[in-house]
Amino acid sequence: MAQCAQSVQEFIQDSFVPMVSVLCSEDAERVTRKNNLSFPELLRPFCRLTSEGHLRDPNNQVVVVKGLRISVTGVNTRSPNSGEVRKLLSQAVSGCQPPEGLPANVITAGDYDLNISDRSVKASVPWYSDWKEMLTQLSSSKYYTATTPWFEAYRENFLQSMPASDHEFLNHYLACMLVVSSREAVPTEQFLKLSQEQHRIQHSGEYTYPKWFIPNTLKYYVLLHDISDGDEQRADSVYEDMKQRYGTQGCYLLKINSRTGAAGPDEQMPDPWSQYLQKTNIHSPLYITIIFSEVDGLDLSDVVSEIHPLKLEQSADPGFPGNPSKAVNSADTARTQKQGSVTPGAAPTAHGACLTLNDHDRIRQFIQEFTFRGLLPHIEKNIRQLNDQLVSRKGLSRSLFSATKKWFGGGKVPEKSIAELKNTAGLLYPPEAPELQIRKMADLCFLVQHYELAYSCYHTAKKDFLSDQAMLYAAGSLEMAAVSAFLQSGAPRPYPAHYMETAIQTYRDVCKNMVLAERCALLSAEVLKSQAKYSDAATLLIKMTSEDSDLRSALLLEQAAHCFINMRSPMVRKFAFHMILSGHRYSKAGQKRHALRCYCQAMQVYKGKGWTLAEDHINFTIGRQSFTLRQPENAVAAFRHILINDSKQTATQQSAFLREYLYVYKSLSQPSNEGSLPQLPLPCVHSAQTRVFFGHEPRLAEGEKQAATHVWLDQEFDQEQAQLWAELEEQVVAVANRGSVHISFQPTQYCLSSHTENLRYPFAVVEEPMFVEVVFRNPLKVPLVLSDLSLLWKFTTKDFSKPQGGTTGETITNEKEAAAGKATALNDIISTEVIPEFTVGLEETKVARLKLLPHKTGELHVLGIVYNLGTREEDNSASEASQLMFVRGRQDLEIQGPRLNVTKEEKTSVRHGPDRRLDPIITPPMPLLEVFFINFPTGLLCGEIRKAWVEFVNVSAVPLAGLRVASTHPEFFTFGSATADLTPVTPTAAEHCSAYKTMVTPPSDAAVTLVSPAAFGITGDNRPTVVEIPLTGGVLGPGEALQIPLWLRGPDREGVHEISFLFYYEGLEKNAKLGHRVLRHKAVICASRSLSVRATACRSNTLPGRGKRDEREEERSGSMLVFVDVENINTSEAGVREFHIVQVSSSSRQWRLHKCINPAGDKDSKLASRERGKLCFRATRCRTQEATSDALEKYTFADLNLGNEQIVSSTTPCADFFFRRGPPSEPRKGGVITVGGLLRRQSLTPANSTDDSMTSIVRKCSEVELDIIVLWKAYVVEDNKQLILEGQLHVALQTIGKEACSLSQKEEAQEMVLLKFKPDLPPPASRPSLEQLSHLIKTCLHYPESYDHPFPQKSLCMVPVTLTLSNCSLAQVDVIIDLRHKTTSPESLEVHGSFTWLGQTQYKLQLRPQEVHGLSLKACFFQAGVYNLGTPRVFAKLAQSGTMCETSQQSAMPALIIINSV
Amino acid sequence: MAVCVAVIAKENYPLYIRSVPSQSELKFHYTVHTSLDVVEEKISTAGKAMAEQRELYLGLLYPTEDYKVYGYVTNSKVKFVIVVDSSNTSLRDNEIRSMFRKLHNSFTDVMCNPFYNPGDPIQSRAFDSMVSAMMVQSS
Repeated sequence: MAQCAQSVQEFIQDSFVPMVSVLCSEDAERVTRKNNLSFPELLRPFCRLTSEGHLRDPNNQVVVVKGLRISVTGVNTRSPNSGEVRKLLSQAVSGCQPPEGLPANVITAGDYDLNISDRSVKASVPWYSDWKEMLTQLSSSKYYTATTPWFEAYRENFLQSMPASDHEFLNHYLACMLVVSSREAVPTEQFLKLSQEQHRIQHSGEYTYPKWFIPNTLKYYVLLHDISDGDEQRADSVYEDMKQRYGTQGCYLLKINSRTGAAGPDEQMPDPWSQYLQKTNIHSPLYITIIFSEVDGLDLSDVVSEIHPLKLEQSADPGFPGNPSKAVNSADTARTQKQGSVTPGAAPTAHGACLTLNDHDRIRQFIQEFTFRGLLPHIEKNIRQLNDQLVSRKGLSRSLFSATKKWFGGGKVPEKSIAELKNTAGLLYPPEAPELQIRKMADLCFLVQHYELAYSCYHTAKKDFLSDQAMLYAAGSLEMAAVSAFLQSGAPRPYPAHYMETAIQTYRDVCKNMVLAERCALLSAEVLKSQAKYSDAATLLIKMTSEDSDLRSALLLEQAAHCFINMRSPMVRKFAFHMILSGHRYSKAGQKRHALRCYCQAMQVYKGKGWTLAEDHINFTIGRQSFTLRQPENAVAAFRHILINDSKQTATQQSAFLREYLYVYKSLSQPSNEGSLPQLPLPCVHSAQTRVFFGHEPRLAEGEKQAATHVWLDQEFDQEQAQLWAELEEQVVAVANRGSVHISFQPTQYCLSSHTENLRYPFAVVEEPMFVEVVFRNPLKVPLVLSDLSLLWKFTTKDFSKPQGGTTGETITNEKEAAAGKATALNDIISTEVIPEFTVGLEETKVARLKLLPHKTGELHVLGIVYNLGTREEDNSASEASQLMFVRGRQDLEIQGPRLNVTKEEKTSVRHGPDRRLDPIITPPMPLLEVFFINFPTGLLCGEIRKAWVEFVNVSAVPLAGLRVASTHPEFFTFGSATADLTPVTPTAAEHCSAYKTMVTPPSDAAVTLVSPAAFGITGDNRPTVVEIPLTGGVLGPGEALQIPLWLRGPDREGVHEISFLFYYEGLEKNAKLGHRVLRHKAVICASRSLSVRATACRSNTLPGRGKRDEREEERSGSMLVFVDVENINTSEAGVREFHIVQVSSSSRQWRLHKCINPAGDKDSKLASRERGKLCFRATRCRTQEATSDALEKYTFADLNLGNEQIVSSTTPCADFFFRRGPPSEPRKGGVITVGGLLRRQSLTPANSTDDSMTSIVRKCSEVELDIIVLWKAYVVEDNKQLILEGQLHVALQTIGKEACSLSQKEEAQEMVLLKFKPDLPPPASRPSLEQLSHLIKTCLHYPESYDHPFPQKSLCMVPVTLTLSNCSLAQVDVIIDLRHKTTSPESLEVHGSFTWLGQTQYKLQLRPQEVHGLSLKACFFQAGVYNLGTPRVFAKLAQSGTMCETSQQSAMPALIIINSV
Repeated sequence: MAVCVAVIAKENYPLYIRSVPSQSELKFHYTVHTSLDVVEEKISTAGKAMAEQRELYLGLLYPTEDYKVYGYVTNSKVKFVIVVDSSNTSLRDNEIRSMFRKLHNSFTDVMCNPFYNPGDPIQSRAFDSMVSAMMVQSS
């Protein structure tokens, strides 16, 4: 860029060429007219001389003139006035456009360090490779024409249109050709006439124009002979005559038109005129106008009105030699005008129709002859003359002049004010002034390429002018001095850039002549560029920009920009900035195309670099320019950029952008209505966040009926929940498939989002809707209005009932309908919901839910969304107009799947899996279940039992089977056991009845029932998580409903509980695609505290010996005391008034509650807030025969009612909940933990088998497996009504002496555990704890409560005492009884008094398993009093373990005896 | 004093631009962006020989008709550009220097903020107020 095809030298040479005028006789004109050319035009292609010319300078040195060009014009060719020049230049520039393709597109990508230098820039960068070489390549290659051709066109036209000025002679006419036709009657006379005419023009003073170089202009007589119709001999004779008259060097016979007929169509004649006439069409303005008004979108009317041909004729000023008959120019104009209007394209072909190649050669010959014989000698002669004059005058005149100046004008004082300078700028020398002579000589030398002499002359002239303060003249000389210094070959002096600067400054500031300044700047910039002084050139060019001419400023700024990028370290940003300035100027100058190109080029630099404000500005301008140039695609793309990026613009600016965009878009999209819809940039769609939901929109609660929550788009995705549901589903599927889960089992997903795995095609059921939730984000500060928003889809029908995947039908899409805005046509295949209006506020993120309802089976693909984009107008008055401001378009939903990361290949490259969220398969109909809950509570007391109802409705047209439910909290609910009759009582009727089954019985001994857990659906130890719901006939028909009762029990722990239900069902006939369906429900229950029950079991000390026989028998098999501590821990003041313990039941395989042994008078068992009550029970072992009978697994339920009503605990729901109770809380902590730890240890020490067995024996001994069920009623006041709530609490007793609690002490379990970084020390030995060992032997003392003894008579009182030892364990036990008093403290001695045991003080016994042994002892008392007999210490150890030492057994109760003295 | 203060990242995208007459914001953006060329030129010419002891202050980058543009480059190639009104002739080179030093200190503080993500636009309030203090004095 910014480089031209010519070298700088050539360019400058061509800028200043010898000017030759032509005067033509009418006849001659007619001859050339045959070729559609005027005489100067005829010569123009041949004006460059191919051979070298020679001439001698005043010092007789030979000067070689190479590649000289002369300019031949008609004598009355008028220089156009400035307004016209402006127009012409503008047209020249707009006519010269860069090649199509590159700038026409909005360049969307670009990194400015790379892409800015396209081919042509690279080629022009000097260091890129050898500059010269590149230049030649540039000029020789056909691909690289000049890279800113518009600039060159401008420059060429500009230089040609330079008006001749008085201060320089370069474009004054040097010679005049007088052309006369040979057909003229008397050619010599005609010559004379013409000569006189020339003389008149030059010397009469009538005309200020044209200007002539030298007073005696060279006249060259040309006889034009038309070969085709002229007499050749006559011509020759006339020529001979002319030779006689004018000398051989002053005349020429030119023979042309040798072709007789018109050229045959097959003949290909070179037409050298076409390019010249195309290019140099300065003289036919209208012609250009017409052509360019067709090429470009230029405003035609403007141009025409200003340069109307008529106006041109009228405005012919008196300075113009107006001879219409002869005016070559006006004839020219008229002709071209005609051509232009009729056949502008065909015009060039008509040139030179009568000329053969021979004629061309003749013309060339003629020019050569003229130049070498006529012109150059003439110049040479003049130089000599001038030189002589100057030399002769030098010594005298110079000094004289300066002397007079000094004397009269005050001398050349450098400190002259600017005002004076301005005055003198207008100074005019008379034409014959000696200062001008030297300038004249310099110009002559310059024209014949004698630059050395020219330079010295210019230099001298400059000095003279400066001393005279003739600034205009001085500037001219400076300019030319600089140029000729540059052009000097050989030993060049450094280019005097400051000359140029001064010249430009003078032209501009002092002389106010911008045209000259511009010429000077153009030359200087070119020279500087050739010397790689780009920075200077740029400064120069930028300085020349001014307000008076936008076109010039634009061009110069553009060139300056190119200079910046050509610098050694390219200044890209300056380039871009000046490009923008240039673009701005171009647009002001009406050069829209160039403006657009500039902005596009600048865009490359600003693009994507974070300079958003600038980027937006450029994009906006590009958009506007593109639009006005009717490139709406580019405009749309540019506007799109502004809107897509996170704009930092203000709201008003954004709304302006948006409106502009919509307007442009609308105008673009209107013509192409049939085609596919365009993509819209706004609002942003976060396609990855798109969610898809299959199924109906959930219903809200209907009165008391509460629908199952299921899944809906409002629910946030929760990984844990999803996992939980998947596990539940897996469980239920496993149960449904009898224990096995298919390997390809996939949990059902109703809602697909970015969190779910979307590798498979999801299934949707026909006639069931699907929702697509699209996330929109509005990045702008302006609200956006989307209307008629709907989905775009593609559908392939398939019949899945047929084998082999069914038959594939045609693919249908709704894209066309959606484009047209009416999406109803395809609604019988898939109903598409349309959202009429959807507003996205400023900078808002909003979701839209779009519904599809498929009516046929097949494969559906959701492609995207279609909508009208519009903006909301602020003022309501313009609502009518705003209705129009929307465009219809689409956006595709393309979801990228997750990144693959399995194989190595996938790990090393970035690959994404598919995401099939939007491509569901529509399957044949499936049953659809809806579940409603009636009377379902939200809050419960802990352990409260509530009866609710559940309704199952099959809303599909297909029967439903295999209904099951799985839950995370199976202990929470029960549908009743299979034994319970399911006669559905209506929910309303059952409202105030107890949930329990009751019988009226007074409180008495326990009623006992034996129940097998199998009856409650319990098998093994596992709690059932999946419950099958019985359906009548196993099927729920279409539209049928089933209502069954549901008992709920409040969770044991207080707080909010989320309880998940998963209902599983399947169709009657197996569907290949969908095996089953599920329905989810999540209930939230708030449990509040009710009672806390703590129970302890103690071994009863009563031993057989007293009481009835059967009792004794029972006791023989073992009995326990059970203490139940009940505390009301309810804290809510409002609700619960008091609790009543209604009944205590037990359930165990081995034990049962036998009797309530509470003290009398404490029967009511009411508990107000924070009250605590204690209940004591005796428990006995169940009868052995019962235990051994059919199954050990049977549970004995024993009910001990405290009121008058007995609740049958062995039936629904009490037993249900018992069996569904949570795992006993006890094993998790306390003493058993050591057992656990022990077992773990044992695996480490397998040798310790004796210890193992021993441990189990020991444990067994203290083990008890008894569950206590405490049934209670709570009196609650709610809304002034008294309600009675019932409930049950479970306590599992496991170890004797260990307290069990209904509440699992979670708080303790969550105790913070210190992090340990060292391993624990291993526990010392694997042995049963002391505590456990101390329970091996049960002891009991039998003695009379009071004993009378006459102490006065007998001082010693002896009382027989029996010590009963009972072995509780199932192994032999060695027992040591030590009767010796411990000598612990003297206190105890004092308190109890002292007595002694008589006889043996230590016994050693061995007790068989379960043996009871009585040991007779004697106690001896010395005085009356109360004594504690419980002093014997019993030690026991297991017989097998010899190594172990005996353990002290738990001491019995204090056994007091009263000794009375009688 | 200043009419525009800009901080430009190493990769030549703006981290922070504030200008006083907000209506000519675009113009200042262009000015600052263009000045980067000069900055780069200055660094590359001065930098190679003595990269270590290069002075951070680059001095006047270029004058425009209405403004003077001053530059400063940190060792991490973060550029500071201050645009000053040409009419403000009282401003000495030393004052410009001290402005840059203040700017640099404040910028360092911003960088030290552990919550600042390097490369993000600067949104620190302290920095903002410091810059406004520089600008307010002018009006």
